[in-house]
Amino acid sequence: MALTITCPICGKRNGYEFRYGGEEKGPRPDQKDLTPESWCDYVHMNRCVAGIQQEWWFHRDGCGSWFTIFRDTTTNLEKETPEAKE
Amino acid sequence: MFSKSKPMWGKKNKLKSSYDVVLIGGGLHSLATAYYLAKEHGITDVAIIEKNYIGYGGAGRNTAIVRANQRTQYNVPLYKEALDLWPVLTRELDYNLMFNNCGNLNLMHSEAAMNAARMNVATAQFHGVESHLIDAKQAKELVPALNISDDITFPIHGAMYHPPGGVVRHDAVVWGLAKGAAKMGVEIHQHTEATGIQTKNGKVTAVVTDKGVINTKQVLLSAGGYSAALIHGFLGIKLPISVLTIQAMVTQPLKPLLDHVVSSGAYHCYANQTLKGEIATGAHMDPWPNYTTLTTAHYIKHQAEALSEFLPALRGVRFMRIWGGLADMTPDMAPIMDGNEQVEGFFMDCGWGYFGFKSCSAVGRHMADFMATNTCPDILKPFALKRYKEHKLMGETAALMSYSPDN
Repeated sequence: MALTITCPICGKRNGYEFRYGGEEKGPRPDQKDLTPESWCDYVHMNRCVAGIQQEWWFHRDGCGSWFTIFRDTTTNLEKETPEAKE
Repeated sequence: MFSKSKPMWGKKNKLKSSYDVVLIGGGLHSLATAYYLAKEHGITDVAIIEKNYIGYGGAGRNTAIVRANQRTQYNVPLYKEALDLWPVLTRELDYNLMFNNCGNLNLMHSEAAMNAARMNVATAQFHGVESHLIDAKQAKELVPALNISDDITFPIHGAMYHPPGGVVRHDAVVWGLAKGAAKMGVEIHQHTEATGIQTKNGKVTAVVTDKGVINTKQVLLSAGGYSAALIHGFLGIKLPISVLTIQAMVTQPLKPLLDHVVSSGAYHCYANQTLKGEIATGAHMDPWPNYTTLTTAHYIKHQAEALSEFLPALRGVRFMRIWGGLADMTPDMAPIMDGNEQVEGFFMDCGWGYFGFKSCSAVGRHMADFMATNTCPDILKPFALKRYKEHKLMGETAALMSYSPDN
C-alpha cells in the first residue's frame, strides 16, 4: 500500500523518497560497560510490532533529515501518537 | 459431492486440555515437524494450532521454487536434503507433490557476479549438489527466450545452472503433510489462535489459545512472518528480524516458452512457467517493515520493466493475478532455529525470509529430532540465536542486507 511520510522539513511526501532507518531503540549504548549482549540488542534486535511503532526514517531523495515517526505497521498509515486511536 | 467430502487431515477434533507437543502455526514447517515427530519418533499426541487455516501464510504465498544452491557450507547441506526429500515424500505420503525438477538458472550480470557464482558453484559441488557455471551463449541455448544482447540495462554475462532444482506444488505439500500427519494421530486445529505461552521456573507449562489453555511441556513456534511478533509478545524475546511484505504475480497462460526457473539478482526478478502456462514471477519486497500483505502499482511496473528486458517475448503479456505475503528477514539471510535455550521446552523455527518453502521438508525432520531428543542435531547448531551475540553471522549474502539500519 502506498506510504506517505511526513518529513519535518519537506512535509508529507511519497514514502519511496525515504529510507527506513529501523525501530526506535533509545540512545546508543555507552562505550564503557558495553557487553556483546547489549550491543547485539541495540544493533540487531527488533520488536517487530504488528501495530503502531516509533521508527526512524531518512529523507534520502530529499533534504537528508533523520527523524522518527509513529506508523501502524498493519496499515502503513502514519499516526500522531503511539496509542491506537480510530 | 463437495459437502460430503471430508478433509484429508481427518475429522475435526475437540481441543484437549493437554498434549505432549504443541506447534504454533499451521504452515509447512509445523506440518513437516508434526509429520516427522509422529513418523520417526512415535510422538503422536501433538496439536497444531493455526489462527486461520493451514497453508494460509507463507506456504501459499511462495512461488513454489525449490533449489539447493545457497552460499554457505551450513546452508547448502540442509537445502540439499530438503530437495532430495521431495520424491521421497511424494511416495511416503502417497500424494502427488508435482515435483518438476526443471532446473534453475541464476543469471549473472557482471564479471564480479560471475566470480561470486564461481564460489557458489564450488561450494555446491563440494557438497554434492549439481551446479555449473555457464556463459551467456549456453544460457541462451537452455532458455531461448533469454535476451543476451548487450543493449539492456543489465546485460547477461552468464549464469549459475542448477539442474536438480525446480518447482513443487506448494498447496499439495500442505495437504499431503497434513494428511500424512493426521493419519498418524496429529490433531490440526484450524481457526484457533495462540494468545500466550505460560512458563514456570524457566520451563514451558502451557499454551494459551482463544479456545482454552493447553498444558504442554514442549512448544514449537513456527508461524512464518508472524513468528517474531508472537515470540516477543509471548516471551519478551527480541529477534534480529524485519518483517516485510513480499509480492508475486502470474501472467495470463501462454504456450510453453520457459522450461527453467530463471532468476536475476540485478533485475530483482525471477520467473518460471507453471504447468498451466502462466509465467509465475516475483519478487519485490517493500523496503520498509509492514504486515499489510498488500500489493503495489510500484511493483507491477518494476516487474513489467524487468521481464520485458531479459525475457522480451513477454512484452505485452498481461498480468492476471498478484498477491502479497510476509517474509521475515534476518540480517544474514539465514534462519533462526533454536530450542531449550531461552526457556526450557520452547523451540523456535523462524527468520526464513523467502527460503521457508524450499527448506520445510528437511527442517521439519531435524526440528522433530531436536524436540524428540532434546538434543540439537549438528546440522541445526549453526542456526542458533546466539550467533548474533557472538557476531558469527552466517554470510549467506556477502554483505549485510539493507532491511535494517545497520548496513
